[in-house]
Amino acid sequence: MPIDFELSAEQKELQELARRFARDVMAPRAAAADHSGEFPEDVYREAWKLGLMNLNVATEYGGSGLGELDQCLITEELAAACGGMTTSISANCLALQPINIAGTSEQKERFLKPFCSDYHLASFALTEPGGGSDVAGMKTTIRREGDEYVVNGEKVFITNAPHASLYTLFATLDPALRHKGITALVVPRNTPGITPGKDEDKMGHRASSTSSLTFENVRVPVANRLGAEGEGFKIAMNTLDSTRTPIGALATGIARAALDHAAKYSLQRTSFGKPIAEHQAIAIKLADMVQKVDAARLLVWRSAWLADQGKPVPLESSIAKCFASDIAMEVCNEAIQVFGGYGYMREYPVEKLLRDAKLTQIYEGSNEIQRLVIAKELLKRVA
Amino acid sequence: MDILVCVKQVPDPETKLRVSPSGKTFDSDGVKFTINNTYDEATVEEALRMKEEFGFSALRVISVGPARAEEALRSALAMGADEAVLIETPRDMPLDPLLVARYLAAAATDIPHDLIMVGRQAQDDEAGAVGSALGEYLGLPSYSFVTELTPVPANHLLKMKRYVEGGEEVFSAPFPAVLSILKGSKDPRTPTLPNILKARKKPLKKIPVMDLEAKVANLPGGTRPTSETLAFTLPPPRAGAKMIEFQTPEEAADRLLKVLKEEAKVL
Ligand SMILES: Cc1cc2nc3c(=O)[nH]c(=O)nc-3n(C[C@H](O)[C@H](O)[C@H](O)COP(=O)(O)OP(=O)(O)OC[C@H]3O[C@@H](n4cnc5c(N)ncnc54)[C@H](O)[C@@H]3O)c2cc1C
Repeated sequence: MPIDFELSAEQKELQELARRFARDVMAPRAAAADHSGEFPEDVYREAWKLGLMNLNVATEYGGSGLGELDQCLITEELAAACGGMTTSISANCLALQPINIAGTSEQKERFLKPFCSDYHLASFALTEPGGGSDVAGMKTTIRREGDEYVVNGEKVFITNAPHASLYTLFATLDPALRHKGITALVVPRNTPGITPGKDEDKMGHRASSTSSLTFENVRVPVANRLGAEGEGFKIAMNTLDSTRTPIGALATGIARAALDHAAKYSLQRTSFGKPIAEHQAIAIKLADMVQKVDAARLLVWRSAWLADQGKPVPLESSIAKCFASDIAMEVCNEAIQVFGGYGYMREYPVEKLLRDAKLTQIYEGSNEIQRLVIAKELLKRVA
Repeated sequence: MDILVCVKQVPDPETKLRVSPSGKTFDSDGVKFTINNTYDEATVEEALRMKEEFGFSALRVISVGPARAEEALRSALAMGADEAVLIETPRDMPLDPLLVARYLAAAATDIPHDLIMVGRQAQDDEAGAVGSALGEYLGLPSYSFVTELTPVPANHLLKMKRYVEGGEEVFSAPFPAVLSILKGSKDPRTPTLPNILKARKKPLKKIPVMDLEAKVANLPGGTRPTSETLAFTLPPPRAGAKMIEFQTPEEAADRLLKVLKEEAKVL
């Protein structure tokens, strides 16, 4: 049997754990956190207690060492309750992945263990005001002085930055070197010279916190460098290769929630004497929505499954992320249409889903960049 | 000193049930089963407390059911139970609470137990009969609806509180005994992700029902269900609500009174 879509009993249990947490802890807080823009840290602490954070940290360092498919199953469940909270919960996986990939065992011991024995947040600091897509164009510099690097520059749109205790920072030895100059450093928040900016007022993912980070003569021990000087670009790209598929799962979760709300509403709401689900125009919308959600989930599973087999997945992960986030926008948009005027009201859950879906087309590599990668990989394979 | 907790996997309360073609049970096709019965979760939690606070040594969980019931046992293992036993039945084997109790009793003779704990009832058939029947078959005293439990292990005594209509009764009794738990003193813990992964590696023994038939045949009632379900029906669909139109509160009260008297005839 070469293909098997059945989840293992253990995977079903992990999914059930995430589903229950999403239903009982996240969902009841989602609307309020979206309205106020508060950072519901008690929810994140609870997620940590249950082991729903730091999924990708190896068991040797106290993590659960889950593969990508398991991570995706959990992420979809969480995102169906609140995209913003899921972004903040999974930001640790993104921030710690460079350490998983390039850290020495001493560094893993030092940096990863505390995350598994206590609740902490970490941030992945790559994007700069001058541009996120053109990573090699970054301007934040590091200069070596003895056993230390001195960091100067600014990062923007960094998830959890004001609340994190550790940053994985990407900076360059010299902007003229472009990607060859980029170096990865692990920087504790309490290092003098680091200032998080104000919490950004966002369109969606409002339960997540996003801010800039400025570095002014920040001194970081050379012992905190991940990999060699100039290896930072590769580390960042490898990190994003493994977190891209879970973003597809996050988008699928948002789309699934929209479909679920729309389908239920269509059975309750009547017009012209029958449930709107019985009007073909609505039924066909629902049929299109379910096809898209199913296809997105399968693309996510395929990419995650391949990655778990140790295969490189630049093409598959980009397809999964790009497709899932695009259909999330379409499905959420249609869900609002099914709800009619009520869908446009903030009292109802679907307009939030559209706002949350939008981000998935932008972050962790915009969909334009995903398409460039997809086309490049495709052409490489036919050339 | 060992504890044995009996658990049952039940349909998810949110799942829609259909009557099976036989008309005597629900159709398990397409039904989502929850990992555990909520009363059993409370019971496992209470049993864990016995281990943590009163020095009981091993906590084993046991279930009678088809292969999927392993999920309920794994969930109890993830909460902290040490070992599990599944008495595995064919998928649609007819069972009633007394027959389940006989299989549990037959298996329990080979499993150390100083205390047997069951949830007061399963959320699905709500029979609440297994605990006392199990006590009967094992020749052990059984106490039902226990809400608080303080063992005095040195004297093999249990101090218990149990629910009685309108109040509570506090009493003590010796163990070994079978207790049915109404509620625990703490909310059941949610298994954490690392514990779910660890539970996979804990021992789970499967005993096919056939292997216990000889023993069960020797118990009063034998290997056939004692009671037979004749029919299984779903609750009638709820009638739609009636809206009362009104201008003033007085008018609303008048009209409501009239409906209650003349239409609903409840006054
Ligand atoms: C809420 C939120 C949270 C985020 N969290 C993090 C985080 O934790 N860490 C982090 O490092 N970053 C984070 N980001 C940053 C995010 O990854 C970037 O916003 C994203 O990579 C795009 O970069 P940019 O905003 O600078 O847009 P730009 O790179 O300026 O792009 C602008 C537009 O041009 C398009 N474009 C750019 N180059 C090309 C090209 N070559 N061909 C075609 N089109 C192109 C883009 O697709 C986009 O549509 C976050 C962003 C947001 C909004």
